[in-house]
Amino acid sequence: MDLFLQRVFDAITNGSTYALIAVAMVLIFKATTLINFAQGEQAILGAFAVLQLWYWGIPMWGAVIIGMLFSAVLAAGLERVFIRKFDPADHLPLVIITLGLFLVINAIAAIVWRFDPQSFPQLFPSGNAFTYNNVRLTWYSIFAFGSCVLVLVVFQTLLTKTKIGLAFRAVSSNLESSRLSGIKIGPTLQFGWALAAAAGTLGASIYAANPVLQIEPSMMLRALIFSVSAAALGGLDSLWGALIGGLTIGFVQSVVVQYIPFIPNEMSLSAAVVVLLIVLTLRPSGVLGTKAVERV
Amino acid sequence: MTTPLLRVERLEARYGPVRVLHGIALNVYEKEIVVVLGANGAGKTTVLRSISGMVETSGLIEIGGESIKKLNPSEIVRRGVAHVPQGRGTFPELTVEENLKVGAFIRNDKDINNDIETCYESYPVLYERKTQAAGSLSGGEQQMLAVSRALMSRPKLLLMDEPSLGLAPQIVEDLFARFVTMNQNQGTTMLIVEQNAQLALDIAGRAYVLESGEITLEGQAEELAKDDAIRRAYLGA
Amino acid sequence: MLQKLYSSRFTPERNYQIAKWTFFVIALLLIAFAYVDVGTISIGSNNYNLSLIRLNKAIAYTIAILGLQVVIGYTGQIALGQSFFFGTGAYISAWLIADHSWPFLLTLLIVIPSCFLIGMILGLPALRIRGLYLALLTFGLAAVFPSIVKLDKLYGYTGGAGGKLTSNYKFIAPSWLPFDEVAQALQKIPLLGDFFGDGPLSTREESRLWKFILFSLLAGLCFWLVHNLIRSRPGRAMRAIRDNETSAAVSGVNLALTKTLSFGVASALGGIGGAIYVAEIGIASPDDFSSLVAIYLIVGLVVGGVGTLPGAVIGGLIYALVPDWASSTQSIAFVPERWLQGPTGSLILGVLLIVLTLFLPGGIVMGWRKFKTKLLGKELSTAR
Ligand SMILES: Nc1ncnc2c1ncn2[C@@H]1O[C@H](COP(=O)(O)OP(=O)(O)OP(=O)(O)O)[C@@H](O)[C@H]1O
Ligand SMILES: [Mg+2]
Repeated sequence: MDLFLQRVFDAITNGSTYALIAVAMVLIFKATTLINFAQGEQAILGAFAVLQLWYWGIPMWGAVIIGMLFSAVLAAGLERVFIRKFDPADHLPLVIITLGLFLVINAIAAIVWRFDPQSFPQLFPSGNAFTYNNVRLTWYSIFAFGSCVLVLVVFQTLLTKTKIGLAFRAVSSNLESSRLSGIKIGPTLQFGWALAAAAGTLGASIYAANPVLQIEPSMMLRALIFSVSAAALGGLDSLWGALIGGLTIGFVQSVVVQYIPFIPNEMSLSAAVVVLLIVLTLRPSGVLGTKAVERV
Repeated sequence: MTTPLLRVERLEARYGPVRVLHGIALNVYEKEIVVVLGANGAGKTTVLRSISGMVETSGLIEIGGESIKKLNPSEIVRRGVAHVPQGRGTFPELTVEENLKVGAFIRNDKDINNDIETCYESYPVLYERKTQAAGSLSGGEQQMLAVSRALMSRPKLLLMDEPSLGLAPQIVEDLFARFVTMNQNQGTTMLIVEQNAQLALDIAGRAYVLESGEITLEGQAEELAKDDAIRRAYLGA
Repeated sequence: MLQKLYSSRFTPERNYQIAKWTFFVIALLLIAFAYVDVGTISIGSNNYNLSLIRLNKAIAYTIAILGLQVVIGYTGQIALGQSFFFGTGAYISAWLIADHSWPFLLTLLIVIPSCFLIGMILGLPALRIRGLYLALLTFGLAAVFPSIVKLDKLYGYTGGAGGKLTSNYKFIAPSWLPFDEVAQALQKIPLLGDFFGDGPLSTREESRLWKFILFSLLAGLCFWLVHNLIRSRPGRAMRAIRDNETSAAVSGVNLALTKTLSFGVASALGGIGGAIYVAEIGIASPDDFSSLVAIYLIVGLVVGGVGTLPGAVIGGLIYALVPDWASSTQSIAFVPERWLQGPTGSLILGVLLIVLTLFLPGGIVMGWRKFKTKLLGKELSTAR
């Protein structure tokens, strides 16, 4: 039982960080039905920027905020230069472009910061918030989950209470009528990219700040798969779905895989892919996703 | 005569290699209701989309004497053209109230909330449903919402693409009656594309008939309603 | 009558094709003999590997990319996970060679049907999953491959993280092939003879040459089969699906059958590529089949030209040569050395991918064809 509880806590920790990247993917998918394969790399680049700022003496949280701004601006630029000229309905070129961005950003991060893992400064108080027998709930877990919820609340507010948020949701809902209402599609989607990248950078920073992990350029590759599964589980178009998807994947990774004897430990990545396979086959709109409301 | 609010000359439009409009001319004067009649595939939708800047065109399109040919859709809306597209004019995932707010996207004034209230007064159903997703409204309610959404930009010219599509005759009549009221009270200028010739000719001042991308007839609505060819083709007589 | 037969068999068009291919084969053989003993060339202080090992790897990639041409280029299904099948073929072949002492060619008889089947089975969900979802799922497959072969349970077959060594197996050239004679004849050519080395070939050189010829023949066979496939009925069905799935279904194309067939063929080609890869480098190790490989194969596909057969060759060469040469480049004037030590190959491939997608969507092959028609525009249209 203790062990189980411990695993659940681990699930929440990992799940929250996956959820943040998943939220980023969801934001872009919602508006453009595009899956950005470079999302994880953009996030890791942002996290490295945070690290660099911290090396330069900027306090950690200040560095995180500047890092988020930096990656938001960068993402807006990427959208403008590489994405906007393509027809959103033609998937292949867009997938290829984001794969290209994946390679380029990954290489740049490795060239600038090297492949060797570096330790990432603590973002949250260290130690345990709570111990009971062998069960430990670390402050890190609590704060990781809390930040995730906070980000979702902030995004939710941005999307529902601001004008650009409204425009963003309008574009996601009906492109043609958005145009006819005077919404400028390009800048609106750019806003989505920026927001997504900021979320990703926060997610990667929190992920890297896990006391048991270090930051390195290929760190996000695994996390990307987990996040993609999380996003798909949540239906790819729902913010809260991304959180629940993230937690579920975290749970599958740390609880299910530990308890089913014939699934060895290294299989957690495969388990995530299997979840992805099942979800996409049985219910392509995800478990929590909205079925497209279409009346023509 | 005064300059028309909307002036279209020699309009040609194409989708890729296929040309669907072959040199169209039409005028809409201020405070007028003008209808364009035509069978399926005649190019009615394309005419409206051309005016809104959504398709590639050649020829001349002017609003109040100024060319809008080079503008993109979001700028054309700001010149006072609102467009209710065929069939799907609402944002199904957004609430009714949000739909109206999107309609007012180009405005920054303080009257937006007043206008929303006015709209609720004329369509109490929308008020009752204001926090519901627009996708959950009935077809008729959605059409009302689509029209209201378009009006929220306070347009000089309202383009409507088959507003009667898929609605029960009762509801269509009601909707068209509201168009007349709107036209008389606020002086809203309208260009309506329709297949329901009977009703459309009833409320319109002038009408055009579009066939395979060309205007084949034009005139006062009353006279066209008497025209034999029209009666045979569109009025089932 | 005879006249007619004669002219239909030997039209200028056909003569041109025959001449072209003969020239191509001779050029290939010349390259093989020229490079069989060359290790590297030096530019500045950098040494670039040019040996047949590179070309053999290029052949392996080429065949895998050919598979991508079938599934992405001709059927329009965004399947990114070719490294999965590349790896599967590699491991099956390695296991048979290392543990059961099978000869290389025989392993293909197992590799091809098993990859074909696995591809078809994994393609089944794709009947429901479309577009981006398929891209996601196949990318996921590519990502998990290394962790699957590292499984403890499979250690006996895959050798775990250390990989499966096959280097005990030697390719021995059949003795009836006149390698030595040809080499010596080439060496006698005035002026150019020097390029072909000196004296008879060593056993290692002969084996290398034999591998190259064997792999080239295999590749040629694959191209010929794919070439015929895409002109056959199922091939037309594939292209119909790519161009418009709905209208393909309406006009009677069996979507399920055609798609699974296309996945099967693509996977089998991936498997052949993988088997050749292992035969060349002598070991199947997990990280040679990571999702990065899947992306590089996509780079090859796009840079060569999506939906063109020669594009696969160009793509294979680019994949085999660019990253290797990039990491061999240890110094360039004005570029800090530190930068050159990073993954410059990956950077270059990524930039290539983006630049080509933005500016030359048909890849190098389409670009070349366009250039050619521009240059010879009028002659070509009158010839037709
Ligand atoms: N996006 C498009 N791409 C290609 N062709 C199109 C497109 N939209 C319309 N067309 C073609 O242009 C012609 C005119 O279409 P349009 O939609 O303007 O007709 P319509 O008069 O509005 O018909 P309906 O009464 O059915 O709405 C048709 O032949 C149609 O097939
Ligand atoms: Mg229409």
